[in-house]
Amino acid sequence: MDELEFRRTLYADPNCNDERVLAAINDDPKKQEFHKELKQLDKSMQLASQVKVPDDLVHKLILRQTMQSHRASKVRNRIQLAMAASVAFVVGVSFTMWQQHNLLNIADQAIAHVYQEGSYALEAQNNVSLQQVNAKLAQFGGEFTEELGQVYYASICDFDNVRSLHLVMQGENGKVSVFVIPHDDAHNAKSEAYARGYQSQAMDAQRASIVVVGEEGANIQGVKEQLKRKIHFSA
Amino acid sequence: MFSRKQNSQASVSSDMANKQKRYEVLVLALHTDIFRYACWLVKNKTVAEDIVQETFLRAWKSLDSLKDEKAAKSWLITILRRENARRFERKQFDLVDIDDVSVIDDQLSNEVEIEHRELRAVMGSLSEEYREPLMLQIIFGYSGDEIAEQLDLNKNTVMTRLFRARNQVKEALEKANVNRGRENG
Repeated sequence: MDELEFRRTLYADPNCNDERVLAAINDDPKKQEFHKELKQLDKSMQLASQVKVPDDLVHKLILRQTMQSHRASKVRNRIQLAMAASVAFVVGVSFTMWQQHNLLNIADQAIAHVYQEGSYALEAQNNVSLQQVNAKLAQFGGEFTEELGQVYYASICDFDNVRSLHLVMQGENGKVSVFVIPHDDAHNAKSEAYARGYQSQAMDAQRASIVVVGEEGANIQGVKEQLKRKIHFSA
Repeated sequence: MFSRKQNSQASVSSDMANKQKRYEVLVLALHTDIFRYACWLVKNKTVAEDIVQETFLRAWKSLDSLKDEKAAKSWLITILRRENARRFERKQFDLVDIDDVSVIDDQLSNEVEIEHRELRAVMGSLSEEYREPLMLQIIFGYSGDEIAEQLDLNKNTVMTRLFRARNQVKEALEKANVNRGRENG
């Protein structure tokens, strides 16, 4: 190790543990002196660097963090509460809306059906026997156990994508349309509707929902009761 | 359900207590060196105190990311240097020289005190690229490798800077001695 490298190494790190440096120091009293001088300088610099630390710094550091974490936990609690509240709110609102929206108003649907169909079913003048009606109703597992009176029309038709039985029969004052629809949880079996000069009421009949549509003022209630009494579903 | 809630709360608060304890140990063990290093970095005691407070506040917030207590020193130095850099983004302060700052050796004899004041002035006058590695070595006892890692520099660069730093200090001191000799003579 030459003189320059030796000096450079020790200048960079007076406490250097390099064997060659240590050997060089051992061999040469001058280098020993140089090493001692440098170490002395480091010692002085170390002492000189010891700026007095403010007495209250420790307390400030710990206090500030305590306040910070206190504030943070308060904010966190508030945020958690707010989040819980909004989740509860959204769940509540969407559940209510889901309930309202999800149940199909079959009474409305029945009026729309009758209206769209126009005169085709309503003006049919067939004389459908009870056997014929029951033959169709059998698909849904039901039968009428008593005569229904005059039945003008009986047909399987599409009721909002559900196969259902469509009847037109004589009511107390005028014709009424009757739909027998297989039971579905998505149907609101207690719905009522008024629209386009018709009124409509739905009811639950064991394995099916029955909707009766008549002109406004017709005795829908009476037809409903009659049907309910006469229809029977095999278990 | 209630007992479960209580348990989780208890564990949260015990986590908090642990964190608090870790933090306090960290502050007590390292705040002196960190503060001194900050003083030498910014050459102003008031600014240094601010930066140290910011540093420890950040340390507290991200204490969970410190996995190994042995790395705490270099972790804090990194935060401190980042805080210092941030200060320069905001505003350039007028800085008071470090030799105006009162130091711990108040009780030392006049002669030694004068020598140290001189030394502080010399150390403070080093440019930052020399002063920073030198103070890491002097205050924290860092090796060349550790300084290189801390400052993200090549080790040869660090050794060269350390060499030049001491060289400048020595030269400045010798020049001062000669001057004083001349004045005295």
